[in-house]
Amino acid sequence: MHLYLKLLSGSLRSRMQYKMNFLISSLSYALIMAVDFILLAAILQRFDDVKGWNLYEVGLLYGISSVAITLYRVFGVEIHNFERYMVEGEFDSLLIRPVSPLSLLLTKNLDLSRIGGTLQGVIILIISIIGLHEKSVDTFFLILYLPVSILSGVVICFSLGLLTATIAFWTQRIKDFQTFTLYAPFNAANYPMNIYPGWLKLIFFTVIPVGFMNYTPVLFLLNKGGDLWNLLLPPAVAFVFLFIAYRFWQFGIRHYHSTGS
Amino acid sequence: MIVADHLNKHFKIYETKKGLMGSMTSLFSAKHQVVKAVNEISFKIEEGEFVGYIGPNGAGKSTTIKMLSGILHPTAGYVEVGGVSPQKRRKEVAKKIGIVFGQRTQLWWDLPLRDSFDILKEMYKVPDAKYQHFLKLYDDMLQIGNFMNTPVRKLSLGQRMRGDLAAAMIHDPDVLFLDEPTIGLDVNAKTSIRSFLKEMNEKEKKTILLTTHDMDDIEQLCSRVIVINHGQIVLDGTLTELRKNIGLPSVMEVQYRTKPEIGDMVMDGIEKMRWEEEKLVLQYDRSVLSSPSLLQEVTKWGEPIDIQMKEPDIEEVIRKIY
Repeated sequence: MHLYLKLLSGSLRSRMQYKMNFLISSLSYALIMAVDFILLAAILQRFDDVKGWNLYEVGLLYGISSVAITLYRVFGVEIHNFERYMVEGEFDSLLIRPVSPLSLLLTKNLDLSRIGGTLQGVIILIISIIGLHEKSVDTFFLILYLPVSILSGVVICFSLGLLTATIAFWTQRIKDFQTFTLYAPFNAANYPMNIYPGWLKLIFFTVIPVGFMNYTPVLFLLNKGGDLWNLLLPPAVAFVFLFIAYRFWQFGIRHYHSTGS
Repeated sequence: MIVADHLNKHFKIYETKKGLMGSMTSLFSAKHQVVKAVNEISFKIEEGEFVGYIGPNGAGKSTTIKMLSGILHPTAGYVEVGGVSPQKRRKEVAKKIGIVFGQRTQLWWDLPLRDSFDILKEMYKVPDAKYQHFLKLYDDMLQIGNFMNTPVRKLSLGQRMRGDLAAAMIHDPDVLFLDEPTIGLDVNAKTSIRSFLKEMNEKEKKTILLTTHDMDDIEQLCSRVIVINHGQIVLDGTLTELRKNIGLPSVMEVQYRTKPEIGDMVMDGIEKMRWEEEKLVLQYDRSVLSSPSLLQEVTKWGEPIDIQMKEPDIEEVIRKIY
């Protein structure tokens, strides 16, 4: 544990060497996220509700999904940059150490400029919960369950990121594919799953299980259907998915090609 | 100490296109070429040996080292370092070996050099006393103390390489894999690194495998040379055997003011003589004929206005083996 803290602090100090760059990227992400949210609010203001979900209920889904993906972006930044490790053969450096390459990868960098996005998600969650409370919805269990939901979301996000990155052991290039498996699904998970056609819903509850992180538990917690299973499924799915992703990753490492020197 | 047994590494080369469709199609495409980067290589290196592993670019040197260190998995064959398979027990092997890649630093780029040592100490769980001992030992030999607090990215290539070497050895590994550690260095830095490696091998009994393009590295350090080409071993023997096989042709280029008169009596050791534009190019065997005596000889032939010495390159050496 001491080692990982040391590695993390080293990465942070490396990052802080470029203060200007850090400030600019934090600012631009904050701006992008703000615009994104204003757009969503504008749409909801106009339509009032989305297939039976009002503004605050959608806000709940949106908040969970965006907190989960931005937390992943903070800690999993090098998984997102994994293509570089393949194309430039940098993965070599992780394999010569007596430590698991995944933990080295995760401690290589922290993208603190994404924290703004997390904060924004938390604010949306708070606004939504207050809004629901005023409509006299019982929010006690909802608040209690939020950490589980967010954590499951982070784990699902991480597993998806890892699964996709692992493909790079064969294809080298992976950046475009990551948009396809990670960002698009997480954007989709900002809204209730029942707005999507059946085939898409099937994908979001199987191969890219983003529906489990927020839609499944919130459905039950807002008395829109389902039973207690809806609360057990998110962490269970997250755990199974993480297991699969990790095994695939270990399998992928055996196929690492490196580059000529 | 190190065993490679019928080692093979084949790469499938796919056409990789850019973009989403590109990576999808290349994933499932059947169109590929098989390149045998390492083809049936076997050798055994005993404890305390200093082995030069040489060959032209793309011969499979780095690929072999990457299999020995557990980075790559062989397509076929078996590897063992210190009695352990780096593929099956990578972390265990990682503790026994130190690796230096001349082309890529293993240090923490944006942090002061000291921090790299600090992190490595933690990573390899080096006890305090041992850590201090080796840090001092390597500082005495490589003089890394002066730039310990400088961020690695601000070090000169020579400083960085000395730092890299010390960092690769801070956990006192039995085996060293050095992939072109002298590439791009000036004479001073090369000398300092060579004497360090010599001492590590002789006094500390480190087993060292070195790849290089510099024949001087081989001559001054290695007791044994393995030459590979196209993924196969073409020669495995002592330095003396390599010499016997190919000599170690050095090159001297002399430009004369007027056309020189070269006597019929060509000295022993001169292997080839030819004119390249205005320059007389001499290839000679340094084990037979020393450079100073050749210098004396060429000044007898006429009045030189420029003399250049060149080291033989590996490609030339390999060509001579065939």
